[in-house]
Amino acid sequence: MNLPKIHSISKKILVGALGAFLSFFLLFHASANLLILRHDGGEWYNAFCHFMGTYLIVKVMEIGLIAALLLHVVLAIWLAVTNKMARPKGYHKPQRSKTHTGSKLQVWTGILIFACLIMHFTDFYFVKIGLVKGKYLAKTEDVVALKTTQPDAFNYAEQHGEYSAKENWLTNFDKEDKAVLEAAGLEVEPDFYHQAREKFKVLHIIIAYLVFFTVVWFHLRHGFAAVFQTFGLYNYKYGKAIEVLGQIYTWVVCLMFAVVVIGVYFGL
Amino acid sequence: MKFTLHIWRQENARAKGHFETYPLEGISPDCSFLEMLDILNEQLINDHIAHPVCFDNDCREGICGMCGLYINGRPHGNDDGITTCQLHMRKFHDGDDIWIEPWRAKPFPVIRDLVVDRSAFDKIIQAGGYISTTTGGVPDANTIPIPKHKADMAMDAASCIGCGACVAACKNASAMLFVGAKVSHLALLPQGQIEAADRVHKMVCKMDELGFGSCTNTYACEAECPKLIKRQNISRLNRQWIGALFGRDRK
Repeated sequence: MNLPKIHSISKKILVGALGAFLSFFLLFHASANLLILRHDGGEWYNAFCHFMGTYLIVKVMEIGLIAALLLHVVLAIWLAVTNKMARPKGYHKPQRSKTHTGSKLQVWTGILIFACLIMHFTDFYFVKIGLVKGKYLAKTEDVVALKTTQPDAFNYAEQHGEYSAKENWLTNFDKEDKAVLEAAGLEVEPDFYHQAREKFKVLHIIIAYLVFFTVVWFHLRHGFAAVFQTFGLYNYKYGKAIEVLGQIYTWVVCLMFAVVVIGVYFGL
Repeated sequence: MKFTLHIWRQENARAKGHFETYPLEGISPDCSFLEMLDILNEQLINDHIAHPVCFDNDCREGICGMCGLYINGRPHGNDDGITTCQLHMRKFHDGDDIWIEPWRAKPFPVIRDLVVDRSAFDKIIQAGGYISTTTGGVPDANTIPIPKHKADMAMDAASCIGCGACVAACKNASAMLFVGAKVSHLALLPQGQIEAADRVHKMVCKMDELGFGSCTNTYACEAECPKLIKRQNISRLNRQWIGALFGRDRK
């Protein structure tokens, strides 16, 4: 099979551009996650998730994001394979040159990130698209009115989940409750706030997520400055500043993710 | 000083090749690495042990770019900013095991023992690493004003001796530092700018065609370059490449 001809530098530029897009998404994702730390029964975070799940432009961008991720992975693996072919016979002595460890690990941290994403998608994204069970919230015009119009549904909701008459939400339901509430005519959607709070109470899950963030840290730390280099923006004047900015960006993103996970575990 | 040398021996380009071990004694710490190999070869010839070990060398003062051995995991051995001929035995410990290998890259096939064919670099230069103007006399140096920092950067890039240590060090056997340096030293000066877009396109296409890997920003090339050529030249190459996507426009 003849693969399409893309020159090595163009391939690198594509991988870098897609990586930059994914890095921006990480900052956005990490910032939004901080809403989980609000003790509001998920009002803000779920409202944000509702917006993300229903707004047309965001839904189009979601497809773009998944496509970008897959293309980033495919191109990076393609590059790695062609790079491997450039040295059919390796050296006997392992290389001892002073180099950036991050870049040597980049393909492997990338593969690890992809593996961790399967865990992350199982915990959250697959709940949204209905492949996996999770927590749900029910939407109603008026919780107080529900008490009189559909007392059975209200009592069920009160026993199986949480509600707030003042804030007008019914939340923290399991998959089994979803069918009952939908039968009562309520609109049900994933409750990522309680989903996250439930998941991050389990020690082995938060350890897995912290490992995930560490791998992301390694990948981003190399990736950030590498994107500038690949785009030809790394020069004598701004080289140092780009590296410092990369360090700050990497630490900020990864710490924001970690703070939420650890915060929920310790009851923040 | 005494050493145990493990040297890659390969009869010809098609032969399989293997490591051969040679003990060597009485080497002065002030002996250069290539002189040490000369002493070994004298012993191999005089004692009828084996054919002498073939290795590339010429000026033996770090300016020609002919020598190049992968010594104990580093191109040009355990020192910075030097070629193999500038490496001295005082950089090793008495009794050390020294593993000597040829450059390893698909475009640098082994010809014999430690000698590799680096004509792939010549082919990249032939593809476009020149200014094609063939008329006119040499202008006076001061007729075209060039800022000092530009001239310095061009000179730094021009110091590349084409030894191939960048390719040998790179985990992807990429020639990006070499091509970056060759593109930069011309593109930074007014005379080279006119053909810059065509030049970068031709040289990168040739580099890919010859089977060099691509840069993954590991910077082993920068760490091992005997002329200390910087990664900024690779960045400039990338910048020139992006510019060439539009700059090669023709009516």
